[in-house]
Amino acid sequence: MKLACVVHRFGADIAGGSESHCRLIAEHLAARHDVTILTTCAHDHVTWKNHYPPGESVAGPLRVLRFPVVRERNLHRFMDISDLVFGDRATPEQQEQWFRENGPETPELLDHLRQHGREYDRVLFWSYRYYDAYFGVPIVADRAVLVPTAEEDPLIHVDALGPLFARPAGFLYLTPEEAELVGSRAPAGKPSAVIGCGLDPAPASVDTSRVDAIGVADPFVLYLGRVDPNKGCEALLRHFTQYADSGRRVQLVMAGPANMPIPDHPLIRPLGFVDAGLREALLARARVLMMPSPFESLSMVLLEAWNRGLPALVNARCRVLRGQVLRADGGLHYGNGVEFGAALDYLLDHPDQARVLGAQGRAYVDREYRWPIVLARIEQLLAETA
Amino acid sequence: MSEPPLRVAALMAEIDGDVRERLRRHVVKRGGASEYADEDVFEHVRAVLARAADARNLDALLLPELLDGDVEWELQTRLELSTHRPGLLGGTILWAKRRILLPLTRWLFEYSQDNFRRQHLLNRVLFACIEELAIENARLRRDAAARPAPLPPDQGPATSRR
Repeated sequence: MKLACVVHRFGADIAGGSESHCRLIAEHLAARHDVTILTTCAHDHVTWKNHYPPGESVAGPLRVLRFPVVRERNLHRFMDISDLVFGDRATPEQQEQWFRENGPETPELLDHLRQHGREYDRVLFWSYRYYDAYFGVPIVADRAVLVPTAEEDPLIHVDALGPLFARPAGFLYLTPEEAELVGSRAPAGKPSAVIGCGLDPAPASVDTSRVDAIGVADPFVLYLGRVDPNKGCEALLRHFTQYADSGRRVQLVMAGPANMPIPDHPLIRPLGFVDAGLREALLARARVLMMPSPFESLSMVLLEAWNRGLPALVNARCRVLRGQVLRADGGLHYGNGVEFGAALDYLLDHPDQARVLGAQGRAYVDREYRWPIVLARIEQLLAETA
Repeated sequence: MSEPPLRVAALMAEIDGDVRERLRRHVVKRGGASEYADEDVFEHVRAVLARAADARNLDALLLPELLDGDVEWELQTRLELSTHRPGLLGGTILWAKRRILLPLTRWLFEYSQDNFRRQHLLNRVLFACIEELAIENARLRRDAAARPAPLPPDQGPATSRR
């Protein structure tokens, strides 16, 4: 088949969840199909400033077509219209305008779909919340497959999404929770599949000496990803500080670029961005993976941790994370500071049980998220949407 | 023989029991309601409030629907600059507000906006608590009404009056 994958940003150095998901899926689909990436010239997800040159290029097995962003995001205007839309006070026109303000506004990408959309057998769109998917899906609706990457945030309740979710020929979801969330708003009977994302088995041996070299001592728990209030890090730091101040000697290692201040605490160790080798070593040596995010549509980090047999402690207020942990029997969840302390105590004080939870997480990844399984589900959906 | 699976749901039930007791002792120790000395009372109150805080959809509450249209109850965090002066003077004043005053006070506006958003969330949680209590009250009223009315003392069962 000739496939197009439409995504708001694309590049090996782009760390966003849906962008990475698109790249991984496209690269694996390219083994059997002719895959073109339709994307923007943006690198920065806040401003959408043009960074890559427009036009055609090649990235491994993929042909990449980039289109320029015609205007950078005006954050004040975006916040103003978000208040209106999320406060349920917006007209249909204002709701549509929200998707323009959110961007990245790339009318040439839409023109390409109008002129060449029928040349592709299927057009896969990532993330319903961006301009390219919201305005692009209706142009090629009969061959569009939407990967919504929806989270339980206020946007999902906006009325403008009803007509959008009615258009694509099929859906690819990341979790059963997302399928339920979006499926309840889409017409019944649309072909769909829950695919998650594929993972290769973790390498058997890892050089963990780098963990010692940077002075991180056992026992430590690990947060992996952008350190950001939107990822639940403020609450994580608050809960952990309270926990550590009660006398428990365990370190919180935060590996990822920080978008917020991290308190100067003897048991909190910020590492900033870490490379793949150190990341693997940290996952191999940590006692528990901490996942405090209140909004997630999949959490690749959680799957990576389970791939290494590491149990997780997740925010129960995020239905997806709680659902994943319960389905996998791969960790514990918490809803407040007291539960955080009790669950972390359990995982640290019962190392045998913690190991079993981690192993059960790995078995869940084996059952659900190995590439052959994920690709078979996608192929079936592509066939069903013919 | 392989080990039996460790079920998270069962583990969490065990941990939750411990957490509730910790929470109760913590609140009592800090001078909370004396009724919480009774574990059953505490558990009932905790369950009602937890349902309001965790299980209710804060975007689909009854009280805001009843308030809507009658009063401006919702926090308005959107900054709208305007002037009542017409013509060139009005335009100049608006320009000065947008280009000079707004950039100078942007930090204060953004700081306040963040706090307004927190307050807005808290308001919605409190609405949810009120609604949960009202539902509880409605259920109890319905159950009480369904019970047979107690007989007056002088018309009690014959066996009690010899």
